[in-house]
Amino acid sequence: METKGMTRREFVKAGLLTAAAASLGAGVFKPTGLWAATPTIKGPVKLGYQAIMSGALAGYGEFHKMGVQMAVDEINADKGIAGVKVEVDFRDSTLKADEAIKNARYFVDSWGADFLGGIDSSGQALALAPVMAELDRILMVTHAATEKLTEQQVFKNGIKQVFRISTPTYQDGNAAAFIAKDIPAKTWATISPKYEYGYTCWEMFKQTLGKLKKDVSFTGESWAPFGTTDFRPHINTIMDAAPDGLYSTEWAGELITLVKQANQAGLFQKIKHVMFPVGAAMDVLEGLGQELPENIWISGRYFFLYPADNRNRAWVAAFRSRWNHFPAYVSETGYSTLFALKKAIEAAGSKDTAKVVQALEGMEIDTPAGRRVFRKEDHQAMYDVPWGLTKTDAAFPFKVMGKQVMVRAKECFNRPPFEGAGTKPPF
Amino acid sequence: MRRYALPLIACLILAGLVLVGILGSRFTVYITMRVMILAIFALGYNLLLGRTGLLSFGHAAFFAGGSYGAALFFIHVNRHPLLCIAAGIALAIVLSVIIGFFCVRHTEIYFAMLTLAFGMMVFSLIWNMREITGGDDGLVGIARAPISLWLVSISLAKPSHYYFLVMAFFMVSLALVYVIRQSPLGLILSGIRENDKRIEFAGISLKNYRLAAFVISGGFAGLAGALATFLNSNTTPFSAHWTHSAEPVLVSLIGGLQTFMGPVVGSLIYVVLREVIERFTQNWMLWFGIILLIIIMGFRGGVVGSMVSLLGLKNRPDERSEGVSA
Repeated sequence: METKGMTRREFVKAGLLTAAAASLGAGVFKPTGLWAATPTIKGPVKLGYQAIMSGALAGYGEFHKMGVQMAVDEINADKGIAGVKVEVDFRDSTLKADEAIKNARYFVDSWGADFLGGIDSSGQALALAPVMAELDRILMVTHAATEKLTEQQVFKNGIKQVFRISTPTYQDGNAAAFIAKDIPAKTWATISPKYEYGYTCWEMFKQTLGKLKKDVSFTGESWAPFGTTDFRPHINTIMDAAPDGLYSTEWAGELITLVKQANQAGLFQKIKHVMFPVGAAMDVLEGLGQELPENIWISGRYFFLYPADNRNRAWVAAFRSRWNHFPAYVSETGYSTLFALKKAIEAAGSKDTAKVVQALEGMEIDTPAGRRVFRKEDHQAMYDVPWGLTKTDAAFPFKVMGKQVMVRAKECFNRPPFEGAGTKPPF
Repeated sequence: MRRYALPLIACLILAGLVLVGILGSRFTVYITMRVMILAIFALGYNLLLGRTGLLSFGHAAFFAGGSYGAALFFIHVNRHPLLCIAAGIALAIVLSVIIGFFCVRHTEIYFAMLTLAFGMMVFSLIWNMREITGGDDGLVGIARAPISLWLVSISLAKPSHYYFLVMAFFMVSLALVYVIRQSPLGLILSGIRENDKRIEFAGISLKNYRLAAFVISGGFAGLAGALATFLNSNTTPFSAHWTHSAEPVLVSLIGGLQTFMGPVVGSLIYVVLREVIERFTQNWMLWFGIILLIIIMGFRGGVVGSMVSLLGLKNRPDERSEGVSA
């Protein structure tokens, strides 16, 4: 008996014990929630992030980085993504398409990125889409606004790897038209950037406003090339046309220059209704300070006072205490990108591209900017950003939105299949 | 011994490139393609700058000509990559004949400024003709269709396959530029650089030869542009911008204006150095600038030029040995 090592009784006992442990384990030690996903994810989750970090718009890159870095630190200080750390590498995207492609290839093929994020220029976003399909990695676009990215590349060409967390040109064109329909202005003119973004937004504004209000006309256009520093000829053109309303998608430093020169020319006394779709960007608000007149309609891709809930307030406070800045919209989109990826990876239980794509499609997530839903068909995040009238607030050294009007994303975003009746607002 | 140097170097380059194509990682292959495309651009360009002594700041226009020519042909006519590339080169040549016609009457600063003006004109045209060129978004979705020749069809969709097409064009360009440099045409061009009065007294039309150099370099720029379009599947108006025209100038300066291999070595340094610097700092422009400055000021006659004189390879001052040793 000694040599057998194990008696039948012992054997049975052991068997019973194992079975008991197994059944018990299944009930008690069953991995739940976060930990259920851990075994499938190996190593850190790596995000390659590129934004403009050189030249006149370098400030945007800094704001991207602040948001992203904050999210990374918060996630890593907590439990990471599905129990593993998240790592981010930043690169200067310049504004050139071929540099953006090179960066993306570096991130994926050399650095080993699992996900990509960032991108400011529409041309870059469009050029990157087929590359993302080839590299088979998810790109979360956080700034570039062209609707062609989601309508054509994602929806029509079926490039599933591209998502966008920021509002597209619908916010600048369509939503603006909903605001304009209630403004007592019958003639509209524009000073806008002489490139696709400017043309597209003005076209969208005209189309949608034309449908919403029959008796409007569009009486003047003045297109300012990229890098314009002297807006006086454009201001004169528009003042000669004497429209009731001015609509301008100038942004960043060029919008600051435009407003300063328009002040000198007395444009705001002559034209009472002015709309700046990207006027609520922090660089513009801070850059203009009190020089931005009151009662100008402004909007953006996120405004730090909206939504006025605790989550957003806490986030803005944390951002201010860490960076001594108010968060720009690219800070919010960069920050939320990390949390959207975290949620999707944990839901998918994997960082495998196809699985995360599936998890992201239709996913809802609460972010500082409010609740976002990634529309399944075109991978566009649906969330609401208000339009508002500028006013002085003693609490801030710059103008903020006073009266706010909300045009809901589902009311003003084009709808799939993007062609034919009922795809463009008003619905 | 020197007699074998050139075929030996050519074989070494070819073997190295083939090895990269077979063994290199996807990123290495991609970066090598970018080096080769820039090298084709600069090799052609250096026929004008190094050989003929004309500093052009408008060659990005021909690069863009090749790029948009290929892309428009792809979209509207035929998707065969070789035909698209041919169309790109053709457009670049037409552009360079027209622009060259006005520019080659002048030299030095006048020539440089004229080419700059024409180049930026092409840039504005591309930027503004939105219906045709896509404006600042450029043309997107220029996919690599398979090359079909009679019964054989070679897929180019994978970067590692496309690599060999770029490599073939690169080797052909190397050979062509070498032949042109050794030809009577090439010799007259360097004669123009050294003393254009004498060349004129010899009864040779300065204008025609300058135009020839201009158009040839434009053609190579077009080839580079067409290859770049298929590499990145898109075109961008910035490819016509003067900042892009500065690239072949810089690359030629780094490698050595008076050398055959200078632009190639310069391209390698330019692309790889930037890639390395970007891994350490996002403030890459500053460091890149400083290092380029050191290279350009520290190496007289460029990297290749100073290596050649350092190794004492260049002891015969005639044209032949220069070409061979370099």
